Amino acid sequence: MRTLTFVTAILLPMGAHAQDSAPILMDVTETHILPRFAKLTDTTEALATTAQTDCEPGSSDLRAAYGTAFDSWISASHLRFGPTETDDRAFAMAFWPDTKGFTPKALSQHINTEDAAVDSPEAYAETSIAGRGFLALERMLYDPAIAEQGNAAYRCALIRAIATDIDQNANAMHTDWQSYAPNMTQPGDDSPYRSGDEAMQELYRALTTGLEFTADTRLGRPLGTFERPRPNRAEARRSERSLRHVELSLIALRDLTARLSFDHPEIAADLEAAFARAIDRAQSLNDPAFADVGTPQGRIRVEALQQSINDIREIASTKLGPTLGISAGFNSLDGD
Amino acid sequence: MTSRRIFLAGLAAASFAPVRGWPSVGGPDFLAAALFPDGTYRLSGLDSTGNILFSIPLPARGHAAAAHPIKAQAVAFARRPGTFAIVIDCESGTVIKRLKAPKGRHFYGHGAFSADGTQFFTTENNYETADGVVGVWDVASFARLGEFPSGGIGPHDMRLMPDGGTLVIANGGIETHPESGRTKLNLPTMQPNLTYVDLSGSILDQVELPPALHKNSIRHLAVRRDGLVGFAMQWQGSQTKHPPLLGLHRQGEKPHLLSAPDTGQSTLQGYAGSIAFSADNQSIAITCPRGNALHRFNVTNGTFTDAFALEDVCGLGAGSTGLVFTTGTGAFGTLNTTRAEISAQLNCQWDNHLIPIRSFS
Repeated sequence: MRTLTFVTAILLPMGAHAQDSAPILMDVTETHILPRFAKLTDTTEALATTAQTDCEPGSSDLRAAYGTAFDSWISASHLRFGPTETDDRAFAMAFWPDTKGFTPKALSQHINTEDAAVDSPEAYAETSIAGRGFLALERMLYDPAIAEQGNAAYRCALIRAIATDIDQNANAMHTDWQSYAPNMTQPGDDSPYRSGDEAMQELYRALTTGLEFTADTRLGRPLGTFERPRPNRAEARRSERSLRHVELSLIALRDLTARLSFDHPEIAADLEAAFARAIDRAQSLNDPAFADVGTPQGRIRVEALQQSINDIREIASTKLGPTLGISAGFNSLDGD
Repeated sequence: MTSRRIFLAGLAAASFAPVRGWPSVGGPDFLAAALFPDGTYRLSGLDSTGNILFSIPLPARGHAAAAHPIKAQAVAFARRPGTFAIVIDCESGTVIKRLKAPKGRHFYGHGAFSADGTQFFTTENNYETADGVVGVWDVASFARLGEFPSGGIGPHDMRLMPDGGTLVIANGGIETHPESGRTKLNLPTMQPNLTYVDLSGSILDQVELPPALHKNSIRHLAVRRDGLVGFAMQWQGSQTKHPPLLGLHRQGEKPHLLSAPDTGQSTLQGYAGSIAFSADNQSIAITCPRGNALHRFNVTNGTFTDAFALEDVCGLGAGSTGLVFTTGTGAFGTLNTTRAEISAQLNCQWDNHLIPIRSFS
C-alpha cells in the first residue's frame, strides 16, 4: 500500500455504536448460538439411531425423530455464517428452494444405479448436495413417487445414509462452533472479526437475512402471484411443515433480536411487539402447508403474515441497524 | 485484415462521442438516477462538476441507464427485478417510449446500444427456467426484435466492445425469481462467467473464475478503448474471506484478479458496486459502498494505488480530469492524483451508477 488517502470532506458514521458489545456477544454465543447446535446434534443423533432400527418410511417413530431434528435445524439455520457456512453445510442440511428439481433427480439416480455411496458416510458426503439433508429425507419418507422406485432394501439403506449424513454434518458444525465462538467474544487480530462491532454486524446480518428468507422465500414462493399462486412451492409441504418453519424461524429470530437490542430498551420493545404480532398471526393460521394460498381468503391471511414480518424488517433496518453501526446507506443497504 | 480491423475499431470508437443532439441539452456529461427528498425517483443529467442540468421522473427506483451514441436519448432501467425501462428524450425531458419486458422476463437493469444506435440490447431473466437472456430491440420503434441466450444465469451489466460487433456480458451466476424478491436461490451451485457474443448471440469467448471463487458474482463492467475489460465482483461466500473484487480480462486470454492488501480488502465486506477506467487509461477503480471506500489500481502493473474513504460511494465514471464518483449521501466528486474532491453536495441519494455520456479519451 503506497498511499492510503483519507478524505475528511465526508465524515463516516461513527460514535453511535461505540458501546461495549462484549456482554451481548458473550450472551448471544453462550445462550443463543451454542445451545442450538448442541440441541441439533442431540436430535440428529436420535434421528440417525432411529433410522438404523426402523427405516420404514411410514414409521411414526422415524417420522417423529425426523420432525424433532428438522425443528432443531430450522431453529439454528439463521446462524448461517462461520462454521455453518463452511463447505456449504447449511445447504447440505436443507437444499431449498430446489428450483430445478435437483433433489428428486439425485435420489432417483442413487436408487436406479444402486449407488454404493450409501455404504460409507464419507462417500455419501461427497454426492450431490441436493440428495443430502432434510429435504432429501422428506422425499424418502413422504413422497409416494420415490416409494415406487427401486427396491425396498436399497431405499432403506438410502434413508439411513441420509440420516447419518445429517448427523455427521450437525456434529461438524457443533464441533467447529465451539472453537469458533471465541472469535466472536474475543475479536481482534487473531479473529475474523477485528472488533466487537464487526461481530455484532455479523449477528445483525444473520437476523435480517433470516427475516428476509422467511418473508420473501418461505412465504413468497408459495404465494406466487395473485393470478398464479404456487402452493406446490411451499417449503417441506409434503410433511406439512411449511407454516411450522415460519413460526420456528420467527421464534428463533425473536430470541436473537432481544439479545442484540438489549442496550436499547425502546427499540427492543418495538421489535418484541412486532414479533409478537407476526408469531400470533402464524399461530392462528390453520394452513400447515399453505395449501390455501389459491383461495382469496387463504391468500389474504398469508399476505398479512408476510406483511407483519416485513414490519419487523423495517424496524430492524431503520432503528436497530444504526445502533450497531450498520450504515443505512442508500447503496450499501440494498446494493445491486 | 488486422489493419482493417483497427481502422473499423477506430471508426466505432469515434462514433461513441456524441456528434449531435447531446450538446443541445446544455451539455450533460453524466446521467445518474437518485431518490429526492420529496420521495420521487428521477434520472438526472449532470455537468462535469455535478450540477443537475435536467431531471426526469422515474416510476420507481432506478438502476443504470444507457446513453444513445448519437441522439440526445437515453434508456433508464428500473432496478431488478423491474419490468420497465423508459426511453427519454433528454432534450425535451420527456418520455418517448416505455419498454416493457415480455411475459416471463424481467430486466436486470443494464443495457447497451449498438455503435450506430439502431439497436438496443437488454439483460433479462427468463425466470421460470432461470436462463439469462439478451433482448434485442429496434431503436426506431423500440419494438422487440428477438432475444438470445446470455451464456449464463443472472446476466447483469453488458457493454459493447470497441470493435462494435461484440457484446461483453457479466453473467453474475445468481438465480432469482421475482416471486421470492431478491432471495438468491442457487448459491451452492452458482457459476458466474464473463461471456463475449457477437450481435446475433453467437458465443465468441467465455471465462470462469477458479472453482474456489465460484461464489464471486461477476456483476459490473468497464471497457477500455483497446478492448481490455474490467469486471467488478460481489462475493457471496463466507464474510471471513476477502477475495479480489476486481478483474481484468482481454478476450481470448486468462483473467487477472486485482486486490488491495488484506487490511484494506477485508473492510470491503465482499462488495463492489461500480467499476470504471480513467480517461487516461492508466487507472481502474471500484466503488465499495459497504466498506465506504473507493479503491484505485494501476492498470499497467495491476498494483493497488489508493483507497479513498467515502461514505456510501457507488456511482463511478470517467471524467475529463479524473474518475468521477457519486454517493448515496448526495455527493459528487472527482479523484485527482492524491485526493477526492467533492464539487457538488446535493440533497438527494445518488443510486448505484453514474453513466458518462461523453468520451474523454
